[in-house]
Amino acid sequence: MSLEAKLEAVGKEFQTIQHNLSKTVEQRQKLESQLQENEMVQKEFKNLNDDANVYKLIGPVLVKQEPTEAKSNVNKRIEYISAEIKRVEGLIKDLSMKQEKKRKEVYELQMAFQENKEQ
Amino acid sequence: MADKASTQQAVSLSDLPLPQLKQVKTQLEEELNFLTTSYAKLRKAQATFRECKNSAAALTPAAKDTTTLVPLTTSLYVPGKLSDIEHVLVDLGTGYYLEKTTQDAIGFYQDKCDYVQKSLDKLQETITEKQNNLQSVVNVMKYRLAQQAQSEDKGDN
Repeated sequence: MSLEAKLEAVGKEFQTIQHNLSKTVEQRQKLESQLQENEMVQKEFKNLNDDANVYKLIGPVLVKQEPTEAKSNVNKRIEYISAEIKRVEGLIKDLSMKQEKKRKEVYELQMAFQENKEQ
Repeated sequence: MADKASTQQAVSLSDLPLPQLKQVKTQLEEELNFLTTSYAKLRKAQATFRECKNSAAALTPAAKDTTTLVPLTTSLYVPGKLSDIEHVLVDLGTGYYLEKTTQDAIGFYQDKCDYVQKSLDKLQETITEKQNNLQSVVNVMKYRLAQQAQSEDKGDN
C-alpha cells in the first residue's frame, strides 16, 4: 500500500516538473520574440541621424527622446534580454534533466507496483 | 537531401506498429495546426503593414490641406486639416516611434511586407513538407488496416 502512495507522490512531483518546464519554455519563447522586436528597432536605429525625431510611448503620451539615448536604451535592453535567455535556457536544461530522472523513477515504481500486484 | 530523408522516413514508417503510427499522426497534426495558425497570424500582420503603406502613400500633395475627421475615440471624431504631408510617425515597436518622411515610411512598410513575405514562403514550405509527411503516415496506416482486415477475413473463412 505504501508503494501505491509513493507512486502517487512521485507522479505528482513529475507532473509539477512537467508543468514548470512547459512554463519555462513559454517564457523562453516570449523572450525570444522580445529580442527579435528589439533587434528590429536596433536595426532601424542604426542609420539614424542625430537630429532625427525619436519618440517614446510612455502610457498614452509620446515623449521626445534623444536618438543617442534611445539607441543606448535599446542596446541595453537587448543585452538584458540575451542574458535572460541564457538564464532561462539553463533553467530549461536543468528541468529537462530533472524530468528525465523523475520519469525513470515513475517507471521503476510502476514496474515494482505491477510485480507486487501479480504476486 | 530531402529525398533521402523522405525515403528514410518511409522505411522507418512501415516498420512502426499501428499505435505508434497513430501517435506520430497526432503529433504531425498538432504541428500542422500550430504552423497554419502562425501562417494566418503572419498573413494578418502583412495585411496591417500593407494598409499602413497604402495610408502613407495616400498622403500625396493633392491631399494637403484637405479636411479629415480625426478619431479621438472610436465614436468621437473632431475635424482636422492635413497640414504636413511630408512627415509621419512610424511605430518601430517596443514603444519607440520615429519621425520619417512619408517616402521613407512607405519604403519602411514595404520592407516589412517583404520581410513577412519571406517568412510566409518559408512557412509554406514547412507546411507542405509536414502535410506530405502526414499523408504518408496516413497511407501507411490505411495500408496496415486493410491488411489487418484481410487477415481477419481469412481467419473467418
